[in-house]
Amino acid sequence: MDSIISTFHIDWKIIIAQALNFGVVFVVLYIFALKPLSKLMAERSQNIRKGIDDAKTNAALLSETRAEYDAAIVKAKSEADKIFQEGKKEAEQKRTIMLEDAKKEVAAMVEGGKKTLEAEKVKMVEEAKSEIVNLAMLATEKLIKSKQDLNSLS
Amino acid sequence: MQAEQTTNQEPTEHITLFAEPIHQYGSFTVTNSLLTSWIAVLVIIILALALRSKLKTVPGKLQNLFEMILEGALGMCDQVTNDRRLSMKIFPIAITVFFFILVSNWLGIMPLGGFGIVERGAEGLTFVPFLRGATADINTTLALATMAVIGANVFGVVSIGIWKTFNKYVNLKVLGGIFTKIRHEPTIIIVAPITFFVGLIEIVGEFAKIASLSFRLFGNVFAGEVLLASMAALVAYLVPIPFLFLELLVGVIQALIFSILLVVYFTIAASDHDSEHEEHTEARAEHELSSPSPL
Repeated sequence: MDSIISTFHIDWKIIIAQALNFGVVFVVLYIFALKPLSKLMAERSQNIRKGIDDAKTNAALLSETRAEYDAAIVKAKSEADKIFQEGKKEAEQKRTIMLEDAKKEVAAMVEGGKKTLEAEKVKMVEEAKSEIVNLAMLATEKLIKSKQDLNSLS
Repeated sequence: MQAEQTTNQEPTEHITLFAEPIHQYGSFTVTNSLLTSWIAVLVIIILALALRSKLKTVPGKLQNLFEMILEGALGMCDQVTNDRRLSMKIFPIAITVFFFILVSNWLGIMPLGGFGIVERGAEGLTFVPFLRGATADINTTLALATMAVIGANVFGVVSIGIWKTFNKYVNLKVLGGIFTKIRHEPTIIIVAPITFFVGLIEIVGEFAKIASLSFRLFGNVFAGEVLLASMAALVAYLVPIPFLFLELLVGVIQALIFSILLVVYFTIAASDHDSEHEEHTEARAEHELSSPSPL
């Protein structure tokens, strides 16, 4: 053992000095480099992880919103179609009612016209009859008068 | 800078196994490896402060480099521990050891060997360089290895408790188990003393760890310095350059080996063998119960 110590000049004072050197390096490196750098790297990793998580959440939200949008569009289309069909049906009904009313009105007007025409015809026939009677009477009067004249002449 | 003493004799340069003294403060000797170590500390402090002052959310070049090193090293640490929380506890010590050894190794191979003093010794005038790789001195590697092994045991006490750590070396639990388990497991009378003595051997193993860690690092770095000096002595120009690059690589590899071994020792110290054994036994029992009977 002594030969090793003397050959290699092993000196406990230098060993302690070297240990102190290492201690100083450890403290300085830990305080000024390792701790802040590790903290910074951990924060960066956390930020990146948070960014990835946020991106995933946003992607999920976007897909959900897109699905909702598509569903809303489909629903709106179906509602619009329904409203259109209802409107069409209502318009058809109204058209039918109006057509029927118009037909009834036309029928009533035709009926009225017919009645007026019939009345006019009857009136005209009666007027014609009275005219004929008058004419016949006039003719008869004239005949009688002319006969009387002839008689008087004769 | 070369404070050469006025003499007619040419100073000789010896490669010594030990660090040469360059100054004396009372009973404390400042060696050239200690001076290099202080410079390494200074370099690391300057780098740490530079990094701290330039820390931004969007990293610059220096911060990017450090982040790359940290992430890579943490990944390597995870491969050893298999547990991120444990890695985060061991990592600051391991990375400090890595940087300290790396900077020390690289400072040792910097071509500043020409700066030094000439001293008159028993063999005449000798040139003593100011800088010698800190890890090319057994005192430095011994300090690091001792701290690593003591640190691992302290970490073990903090992680699994003093009783379990103590039982790894002086396994009183297994000796006590002889009296409680002998009826069910008669073989325990043979196994328990063996396990107890294995625990005692573990104490020797801890000293072996200190020796292997310190001498491995010292040997590799010192051998590198000897190689560079030999190459420079043989052919002064161009030829040593590939060896310089090789030594740069060796510096990284040795720092890495020391750090990984430190992580391994800390991980072993923090693992509870008894609970692992119990878990394994329980798992085996569950498997046997759940598996269909051959009958």
